Amino acid sequence: MNKFLFKVSFIILFLFLGTAKTFAQKLKFLIPDAGIVQHAGSIGYFSVGAGYEIFKNKKGYLDFNYGYVPAFKGGELHAVTVKLAYKPFEIKLSDWAKLYPFNPGFFLSYTFQEDLAYKFHSSEYPRGYYYWSPALRPHLSFSNEIELSIPESWDGLGINKIGLYTEFNTNDFYIVNYLQNTSSLSLSDIFQLGIGVRLKF
Amino acid sequence: MKASYLLLFFCISIFSCKNLEYSPSQILDKDSYKNINASNLERLGDGSQDDTVRFIVTGDTQRSYDETIKFYRKVNSIPEVDFVIVAGDVTEFGTLKEMQWLARELNNLTVPYVTVIGNHDLTMRGRDVFKRMYGELNYSFNYGGVKFICHDTNSREYQFSGNVPNIPWLRKQLQPEVGISNYVAISHVPPISDDFDEKLVKDYAAAFDETPGFLISFHGHTHNFEEFKLDNSNIPYVITSAMGKREFLLAEIINTKLSFEQISF
Repeated sequence: MNKFLFKVSFIILFLFLGTAKTFAQKLKFLIPDAGIVQHAGSIGYFSVGAGYEIFKNKKGYLDFNYGYVPAFKGGELHAVTVKLAYKPFEIKLSDWAKLYPFNPGFFLSYTFQEDLAYKFHSSEYPRGYYYWSPALRPHLSFSNEIELSIPESWDGLGINKIGLYTEFNTNDFYIVNYLQNTSSLSLSDIFQLGIGVRLKF
Repeated sequence: MKASYLLLFFCISIFSCKNLEYSPSQILDKDSYKNINASNLERLGDGSQDDTVRFIVTGDTQRSYDETIKFYRKVNSIPEVDFVIVAGDVTEFGTLKEMQWLARELNNLTVPYVTVIGNHDLTMRGRDVFKRMYGELNYSFNYGGVKFICHDTNSREYQFSGNVPNIPWLRKQLQPEVGISNYVAISHVPPISDDFDEKLVKDYAAAFDETPGFLISFHGHTHNFEEFKLDNSNIPYVITSAMGKREFLLAEIINTKLSFEQISF
């Protein structure tokens, strides 16, 4: 009986190891294509993240960022952001530099702060009293990026290219304000700047 | 070569831009205004030489910066106005940017202005933004022998806790005072609103009723002009139209008598 159990467990273990290996291969897509550090841009005084190149033509970006704003910069708060962007244009500047001049995007930020809940409590307010989410913010963005190739002699770093980008974003709040006040507000009032570095593996 | 020029342009564009925002929910930035109410009241002075107190009541300025431009032009053209009071809901979403955008326009008024907290200003992190940029939620000031009592009546934002409006604080403000012959209250939510703490309406009205020289209580919130009285009371309660409806109230106190008119712009 014990021998039988041993056999069965051995087979199960063997099968598990076998699937685990293929499973790990399937999970390879989880390894990010880039590491990101960003300053400002409405998602933290500083934020860090992992970036993926998506779509078959690799013209899409999918980024996950975590950002922090210290109290003396207007926080304290934490934010998690999921960004989606598309790079329709590509300009070759030299053998080692490329420009992506206009990359439209969309992102969602979720702010963790004690005064900000996902929604207004239904027991405190009649239906539709306040119509927005305090913590979850939809943003529209456009960015530009200069991509520099790393010299081969730096291969040991594990980085192929470095992207330097500026990103302008606005959100639902600012768009609502702008649409009703096009003479007192300008686009530069509602679009906020972020700058960042994308280290491409 | 072309690349390096572009790189240079790229760097310049970064460092010349002022729009580095850390979060729509940040409560300050290096350019945001501070203590507007206090500094404007200092500029206003006590009006001890002024026997005609002339002031403007507006409110619900949220999402109405375009109208605010027309507003300050109109107010600047009216002679001998002493100050302007904004009766709450300066923002829609309680954000720093909205408070900044409004202050940017109101700063074009030639006379001092003060703002009172509204329910929308208490959403998000608005309380902290308001306190830093404008000032306290309950405060009072004296001008020309009249005490103006600006206070928070946004009970719903405090889950009708029974502490807002703060009746003991109001009672204290309404105590007889040397040199003060009249009292005027300004707050956002009127006592006939569902957003005003039902339990406190009686005490609130009584505090005003029992104060000799109490003239009027001004409000906003409903966006429409309305004048009403509460049961067994002779105190007039007056709601000003919203900024977006292009109407405000011009009030005048001469010789302890108050009059006001609606002015469209």
